[in-house]
This record gives sequence, C-alpha cells and structure tokens, in this order.
Amino acid sequence: MATTTATLNLSSDMLSSPISITASSILMKAGITEGLELIEMGRGTIAETDGSKTAEFGLPTALGADKAAKLFLVNKATDPTYYIDIDLHDTNVGRLYAGDWMFIPWGMNDTVSELVIEAEPSGATCPYEFVLLQEPQTLVAHS
Amino acid sequence: MATLTPTLTLTSTDATTDQLSFSVTDSLSITAPHIGLAKTSVSTTGANNIIQPATDGQTYYVYVKHTGVDASGSTVTTTMNVELTGDVVVGKLSAGEFMWMPVGGHSLGVQLQASSGTIVAEYAYFTKA
Repeated sequence: MATTTATLNLSSDMLSSPISITASSILMKAGITEGLELIEMGRGTIAETDGSKTAEFGLPTALGADKAAKLFLVNKATDPTYYIDIDLHDTNVGRLYAGDWMFIPWGMNDTVSELVIEAEPSGATCPYEFVLLQEPQTLVAHS
Repeated sequence: MATLTPTLTLTSTDATTDQLSFSVTDSLSITAPHIGLAKTSVSTTGANNIIQPATDGQTYYVYVKHTGVDASGSTVTTTMNVELTGDVVVGKLSAGEFMWMPVGGHSLGVQLQASSGTIVAEYAYFTKA
C-alpha cells in the first residue's frame, strides 16, 4: 500500500489579521482502505490554434465508476492574459490563468467525465504540467 | 484587493522506490465577494447545497473539504460529490479529502451532494480580482 499525502495551505492578507487554512489527507482508493498507487506525470503545450482538445490524461478509461483519482494541473504560461479553459466533456468548469493550478477529485469513468482543455485567448500558447494519481488499471493483453 | 497564496504539497516515501516530493504555490489577486472559511451540512440533494453562486463571467477559486463526520458529529465513510449546478459531477471526495479549483467563465455555481445521509463539508471561495 502506498501512502501519498496531499497538503493544501491557503494564506491571505485580505483581513487585518492573517488568514491561514491548512488541510492534509492521505490519497486513498475508493473504500479508503488502501492508498492510490498509480502516479502519472507529464507536461505538454496547447495553443489557441489547436482548438478544444481532450487532454492526454483526460481520456475516459475503463477504470469504472466508484473508483478514485486525483488530478493536479498547472498552467505554466507566463503571460497573465493566457488561460487554459477547463471543460468536463461539454460543460465549462473554469479557467486556469498563467501560473494557476488546481487539485481535484476526478471521476474519469465515462465519456461525460473526459477532461477537455483549450488555450485562450487568440494567439495564446500555454505550457502545462500535470500529476494524475489513480487506482491501478488492468493491463491489456497484447494484440 | 488582497493576495491569496495557495500551496500544494504531495509527498510519499513508498509510492515508488524513489521518494515523491512535490510542491507548488501561486499568488492570486482576489477581491470581494469571498467566503472563507464556512461549514455546512450536505444532504443528498445537490441543488439544496449550493456553496458558490453562479458566476457572471468572473472566476472563483473554490476550496472544499469532506470533514468525515455527519450532521450529528458521527464519523462517516460515505463520499461527497462536488458538482456544478445542474448536477454536473466534477468528482467525489472521500472522508478527509479536499480539492482546490477555479470555477468561472460561465453561469454555473458549485454544489455538494452526499452519497447518503448527511456529510459536514468545509468550504471557501474567493473572487479573482
């Protein structure tokens, strides 16, 4: 069993007293008895001219419903006007502006949960990096 | 206008034979409205548990945590869906887990839905300046 710990700290000066929120959890398989074991990392670049693309880590898999996965994605662009539009299939979730990142639980069990990314606005090019932690998948027999 | 600094750290000593140690941070300019930090008891009807209002083109940064207890304070192992309004499932959180994501550029909010019974969630959201 692998033990991977994710810790998030949020701090801000928006009030006269500093704000600090810290959350930490061990990333578990569904059923919370064993840790997630499969870690996939990578980087890529998407340009506005590429249009809307299913991310290479966003393909619906045979992992099945009720399985656990966590996704980290960061937009490594340096132009603050460049952002990556994040869609779940046909539904827009939000925008990752330059330097912004997200860490989410992800269903990845059917077509509706495919992750789609798109660089915006016109002329934008956004390098990105990702970490996907998931449950092991059954290897496919060779053809 | 204020600054919000989120930092994520992923660590493991046994996921692979080589240790995993990963940390990333960001500096976000935020403005009102914001909610942070709040707690709510989540039921099995997502539309009754909207924690972030529909956006009007702005971007919200949203934090959600499954506390692992129900409304009575008893420990639960049930999962909690994080959804966009309209029942679009983003993913599910198990007890003790959290998420951080940007939401915006459309007209949807964020809602939570317990798989059964009730689940106490903690959440916060901040508006991109």
